[in-house]
Amino acid sequence: MNNLGFFLREAFKNMRLNALMSATAITTTAICILILGAGMLVSAHVQGALFRVSQDVEINAFFPEGVSDEEIEQTRSSVEGYPEVERVTYVSKDEALERYKEIFAESPDLYEGLPTDALPASLEVQLYDSSDSDAVASKLEAEGTFEDLRYPQQTIERVNEFVGYVTWAMRGATALFLVASVLLIFNTIRLSIFARRKEIEVMKLVGASDSFVRTPFVLEGLVQGLIGAAIAALVVLWANSAFVSWAQEQIPYFAVSSSAVNIPFMLLVLLGVGVVVGIVGSYLSVRRFMKI
Amino acid sequence: MIYFDNVTKVYENETVALDNVNLGIESGEFVFLVGQSGSGKSTMIRLLLKEMEPSAGTIRVNGLKLSGISRREVPVHRRNIGCVFQDFKLLPNKTAAENVAYAMEVTGQKRRTVRTKVPQILDLVGLSSKMDKYPGQLSGGEQQRVSVARAFVSQPPILIADEPTGNLDPDTSVGIMQLLHRINRIGTTVLVATHDREMVDVMRKRVVALENGRVVRDMVRGGYTNE
Repeated sequence: MNNLGFFLREAFKNMRLNALMSATAITTTAICILILGAGMLVSAHVQGALFRVSQDVEINAFFPEGVSDEEIEQTRSSVEGYPEVERVTYVSKDEALERYKEIFAESPDLYEGLPTDALPASLEVQLYDSSDSDAVASKLEAEGTFEDLRYPQQTIERVNEFVGYVTWAMRGATALFLVASVLLIFNTIRLSIFARRKEIEVMKLVGASDSFVRTPFVLEGLVQGLIGAAIAALVVLWANSAFVSWAQEQIPYFAVSSSAVNIPFMLLVLLGVGVVVGIVGSYLSVRRFMKI
Repeated sequence: MIYFDNVTKVYENETVALDNVNLGIESGEFVFLVGQSGSGKSTMIRLLLKEMEPSAGTIRVNGLKLSGISRREVPVHRRNIGCVFQDFKLLPNKTAAENVAYAMEVTGQKRRTVRTKVPQILDLVGLSSKMDKYPGQLSGGEQQRVSVARAFVSQPPILIADEPTGNLDPDTSVGIMQLLHRINRIGTTVLVATHDREMVDVMRKRVVALENGRVVRDMVRGGYTNE
């Protein structure tokens, strides 16, 4: 390790002297990682939006006429105790009418003259996971206090199925991007080291050990990978925040949220891929020219 | 110091480069290895550096059998042999001083030692004014002197030169040969492969002549040819 200073100086000096090659390697890395990052962003947002759509599904359980406040309270606390249930909202007859009026505010003839108790009271049951809706529905039925249950079971199933497909498609696409990036970066590094194979030969002839020859190249690969990935990561971060604020303003009905992207994780992946590919790529490339 | 015992080297394309060579070079000797291109001179040098293995026979350098040196130990072995090549083999991205320094750095020497030693050795080869020039800015003779400085900076017991004057004009060649001669006088074993007839005739050193991979002549104070 006391050679670290020497190796670092060598690495940076080589990058400066082979500026064009370094720039090529950095640019290639940046572009590849950028594509990878874009893929991850799209994937995260699509999944996030679908997940939130599926989360918005709720079960409406209607109470019959003449149910007592006590019964309502009892049922409500019982339902709140279900492990699958995230939130329960009680909608009284008055509130139901208010909502109805709000929805049809444009055409007052639809509600004028309705008696105040025309609509039934109900519980709005929000689940943690919409795939539990069948199970929860049968529990609600077993309570015996409800007259009617309404939940879009088919929609839920379809949405869940769709989310599953999309998730796998996105993972596949991301994996393909990853493979393509790795190969492209590898190739660029190989070319830049190929251009310097004579140097490697000379180093070996004056008695440099493999690791002595290799280390500056590997450090160079690491630094290039890191710089390329960092550039790409900055662009991806900027694109993400720009997209989120644009979407929230222009297409509010799509549930785009900044919380859909796990930013620390994504940065870790992008920088990690850059660094690892840089290191492994240069390690393997140098090795090919050291068999002397 | 250097011993070839019944060494044969056959390349993959079945060219016989060395055919049962026996040769002993003692410590402190100055030996010319002469012969035409393809006579086996370069093959002998590459075998000595363990760039490749002989097909048969044993080679001993500095008391060690080369076949017993593992791949991992090859760099250590090479540090005992300073090398000068026809095409100089300098690192193009390093200045004259840095090229010489690199040969010390590979052996893990301290920066301070490197800093004091490099100017000394470049002064010795007469290049103290061109320390910071890159190989591309130096003439052939100057590059070869850098290369000699690099080969000798760690004071290896053996110095090998493969056609060191092959790319140089006669006057420059004399300078390089004088340098090698001085290095030999302080006790270094020097082996020079060459077909520079005049040089060999002038120096009157031991001459080993190769022909088609065989040693055909070995004279203590020889010339390029028999006469």
